[in-house]
Amino acid sequence: MARNLLKRDSISFFLEILATFGKLHGPILTDDGVLAFRPLGSGNDLLLEYSRTLVPPKKYLLPPRDAVLFFAPDEWYHQLAAAVPETILVGLHPCDLQGIAYLDKVFLGDRIDPLYRARRTALTLIGLSCEPDENCFCGDLSATETHGCDLFMHQSPGGFNLKDNTPKGTAILDRLTPILAEGKSLPAVSRTCDMAAAIQLASVRSETHGESALWDEFAERCLSCGACSLCCPTCYCFDIREYGALDGESTVRLREWDNCLFKDHGEVAGGFNFRKSRQERFQYRYRHKYLGFGPTRGIASCVGCGRCRAVCPVGIDLLELFKERQDEKQP
Amino acid sequence: MKKPIIAIAGLTACSGCQLTLLNCEEELPEIAQRFIIDYFPLGLTERLITGPIDVAIVEGAVSTPSDLEILMKLRNSSHSLVALGTCALWGGIAAMKNQESRKDLAETVYGSAADGLKTFNPQPLHRFVKIDFAITGCPPETGELLATLAALLRGTFPVFPHYPVCSECRSRENLCLLIERNEMCLGPLIQAGCNARCPAVGIGCEGCRGPVTEANVAAETELLLKKGFPMDEIVSRMQRFYPEWDYEQRS
Repeated sequence: MARNLLKRDSISFFLEILATFGKLHGPILTDDGVLAFRPLGSGNDLLLEYSRTLVPPKKYLLPPRDAVLFFAPDEWYHQLAAAVPETILVGLHPCDLQGIAYLDKVFLGDRIDPLYRARRTALTLIGLSCEPDENCFCGDLSATETHGCDLFMHQSPGGFNLKDNTPKGTAILDRLTPILAEGKSLPAVSRTCDMAAAIQLASVRSETHGESALWDEFAERCLSCGACSLCCPTCYCFDIREYGALDGESTVRLREWDNCLFKDHGEVAGGFNFRKSRQERFQYRYRHKYLGFGPTRGIASCVGCGRCRAVCPVGIDLLELFKERQDEKQP
Repeated sequence: MKKPIIAIAGLTACSGCQLTLLNCEEELPEIAQRFIIDYFPLGLTERLITGPIDVAIVEGAVSTPSDLEILMKLRNSSHSLVALGTCALWGGIAAMKNQESRKDLAETVYGSAADGLKTFNPQPLHRFVKIDFAITGCPPETGELLATLAALLRGTFPVFPHYPVCSECRSRENLCLLIERNEMCLGPLIQAGCNARCPAVGIGCEGCRGPVTEANVAAETELLLKKGFPMDEIVSRMQRFYPEWDYEQRS
């Protein structure tokens, strides 16, 4: 027995102590009725039971539109050395933790992105166990549910069993001890999900579903609205544009979320496009998401959060590709 | 740096696009300093197109012989021509009823005086002259207008993204009016750049910025029909700012 049980009636003390480590952010329900990660307090109440936020926590590391460089004649290209405030992100589901772990691979891997690193270093991740709904398909992908998070909150009948995974998490847990009760340490949950298993198998086999009739069907219906990737916790494609100021000299360079279903995504100078049709763009999306390429080849980046299925206005679901393959195997 | 010589003109329209420029109060002194404004009837007493002009910025649709004359003069005396706003680029509000008889429409408004009117169906600029760049919007966003002026100082045009309103709407974490409220929102078909101004306050996109590149018109129409909106209501909403949608278009 260890003092690791956070009882539900101690949540407000818990948040007070957490707030001494940095600015608290977590999932809330906005006035419009959207689940979103927002600063907590002043009417923004932390949700400890929620399905999924519309936009994943990647926005803390890779904001939708971000000024990455400034130009001035006497300073050339430079970054503004803005201090990144310490932020405690509380209430992250295992899928979103997996999403951040994947982004870490991309932005802190072979080439480190300095802006990403500064924000990531200032971010403390507090995970929260969850129950899957009809859109979830994380399965075994969440077996390492505590992966990458500093502290994990495992919901149990008595409250939340806390588990620290990093020195940051240990420091927080030490400070929390006075408000904790004695609890058991719970074993990591292993969830089975046929869809997650099918995806893993297809990924290992580099299955491209090249002959599937579904590609054309998807392309016919897709509105190219961008929701699937904007709301994906691991889609990180971005566009870079630079705009001048009216002084005729200084400029700002922006990095903005992009989407592989947009025409511009595969377009290069002279108007040539690597993926002219929407159908080709879908196949590209599949290959990047499930097979990976470049330094992430062989890594499926889908974490099973179900956002793309939930936010598509025309109900396109890439999982139909895997279902189709499963159906073929049935006699 | 050589100061670019610009002209700013309005054809058949409400002058709202030109007012967008005049509303940039903070930037106006800098604009006046960086450009030579050669022709700008809304803001200058002098009203002669003398040329040569580097860039002519033109608001409005073409619907009268005098519109056409001004447009031709500007095109002939300018190196580049920029369509400013939805009317100049797509026809806009004035072109909403272009499918109906011009004669009947004129009579409805002007009665017997309609006979003497020398007007024709409002058309976007590109039906008559080559345009080099466009800033869409009803009215255009000040940011895009200023970004264009700033690019002109460097002898170029800016690059604006070609994605639909939905993209900015999702990034702002708005409630999807199409999915969650089953409202008629044209977001998926319409060029972004407004930062989803209307959906952010709970109003479905009305389409004031005109079609986005590769709009999947057929799929959006099917979706709205499935939600129970009658076709005539869909068409009426879609034609408010652009009368020539191809309802079969998918890419």
